[in-house]
Amino acid sequence: MSELAEVWRYREVMGNLVRRNLKVRYKNSVLGFLWSLLNPLMQIGVWWFLFKIILGNEEPNFMATLICGFIPWFFFSQTVLDSTGCVTQEMALVKKAYFPRTILPLASLLSNLIHLGFAFAVLIALFAIWRVDINVHYWLVIPSTLLITVFAYGLSAMVAAWSVFYADVKFVVGNLLGLWFFLTPVVYSLGGVLDGQVKVTNWLTGLMAHWLPVIKKIYLLDPVAMGIVGYRSALLYGGANPIMKPEDLARQVELQAQYPFAHYVLGAAMISVAVSVIGHLIFRRMSDLFAERG
Amino acid sequence: MSVIEVQHVWKQYRRPHKQVNSLKEAVLAMLRGQTGYEEFWALRDITFTVEAGEAIGVVGPNGSGKSTLLGLLARVLKATLGSITVAGRVCPLLELGTGFHPELTGRENVFLNASLLGLNQRETARKYDAIVEFAELEEVMDSPVKTYSTGMVIRLGFSVAVHLDPDVLLIDEVLGVGDEHFQHKSFGRLLEFKRQGKTIFVVSHNLDAVRQLCERAIWLDRGRIVKDTDSEEVVTKYRGAVEAWERSLADARSRDAPPG
Repeated sequence: MSELAEVWRYREVMGNLVRRNLKVRYKNSVLGFLWSLLNPLMQIGVWWFLFKIILGNEEPNFMATLICGFIPWFFFSQTVLDSTGCVTQEMALVKKAYFPRTILPLASLLSNLIHLGFAFAVLIALFAIWRVDINVHYWLVIPSTLLITVFAYGLSAMVAAWSVFYADVKFVVGNLLGLWFFLTPVVYSLGGVLDGQVKVTNWLTGLMAHWLPVIKKIYLLDPVAMGIVGYRSALLYGGANPIMKPEDLARQVELQAQYPFAHYVLGAAMISVAVSVIGHLIFRRMSDLFAERG
Repeated sequence: MSVIEVQHVWKQYRRPHKQVNSLKEAVLAMLRGQTGYEEFWALRDITFTVEAGEAIGVVGPNGSGKSTLLGLLARVLKATLGSITVAGRVCPLLELGTGFHPELTGRENVFLNASLLGLNQRETARKYDAIVEFAELEEVMDSPVKTYSTGMVIRLGFSVAVHLDPDVLLIDEVLGVGDEHFQHKSFGRLLEFKRQGKTIFVVSHNLDAVRQLCERAIWLDRGRIVKDTDSEEVVTKYRGAVEAWERSLADARSRDAPPG
């Protein structure tokens, strides 16, 4: 608790760091802050082009599905990526003055939450243009965001601390996020994963086929995947369990029995909190050495 | 009332035998069995107290632990053993201006820096004009700091620090910042602090400045306190020791020189 009180006492430093992060990120670029929106939009455009134009995906509302996946994903990946520099780039401050070091990953997290807020505002504007009805189920976005945020804090704290000692962390994290992207339902929907089968062609696919039920369960316990599912549920499916598209009712009921959703939400939340606590402890233990090793 | 209390403080640095900067190097070092650390005591059993209103200087050769001691008092470093308490608002003047962000304007940096040193937005706003005036940077406050000269950055850093109304001022080698004019001004400011009964803790190689500003001095050598008393005496003895050491070096050199 005294730790929390101390962070609170230094809240102005955090506020200033956040303000600075927001100002500095797109400094020297002509479009400036707009990039925080253009960047994800352009990525969405790339994926839309790939699926819709090249692969001829016929899913209705595909664009909306993509956007609902990308917004939380972008928040998560950017937060973890930024954390590689959130201490190393502030070494001048760390060596100069005392302040609770936790402020650094927290400030980076908060900056990205603000970017998320902007992206969300644009999404709502788009929905208004598309005449999608905006309903009460949107509130589910809040716990979904919370789930990802708590998880991202833990990972960020770990990554931030390790980055001070090993420059490799940055590259490892970048690549892992590239893989993670495909392990979350950003560019596809959850139903396909849960229905999916593996065709056995070699030992690796054989192994995967054998462990497939477990792999699917682990997949569902990922707080990021769950957060994305939550976004889709809130924004597209009126709060309904989004395992399958609502059209396929029979299969939907079947899958719901097989994967009791509430259990997985609870599990993902527990993982979030555990990672957060562990990450924080690692960060705190290592932060004593930041000033002399960095 | 003692403001700074340092009791039996030891500080150890663990320097890896070989600097390890990447995972690959760490793995290689582990495979070769080079996981050992070189343990190095930067401070050994340091004990002293500083009373409110005292100005105290620390002198000693490079590597004697002066900056480590200051880092510990600023809470930037953590003591390996022993305890340190510092009462009141501490303002560290370590490496002036390094906390500035090059992309932000002077004004934005003043607010960021002041908040780091414990001042809130409103207090900073109240002191802002005085800070800028003291640094003599009225015209450039809305330009990014990356366009400033080194002297300008240091002036602004010093100005922010001394306007924070600290109870304890920790100063690392910044007595000679800026040009002649600013040096005078900043030294005058420190003397004013002293008159106001603030505690000042200075690390410097500028022995005359130490003698002028501080009534007491600590002489550190290889992490130990050699002397802790009246600054006049410490400076004289330290100078004597340095001269004796230099003479012995010169003697050794002339002895080693080939005859003729």
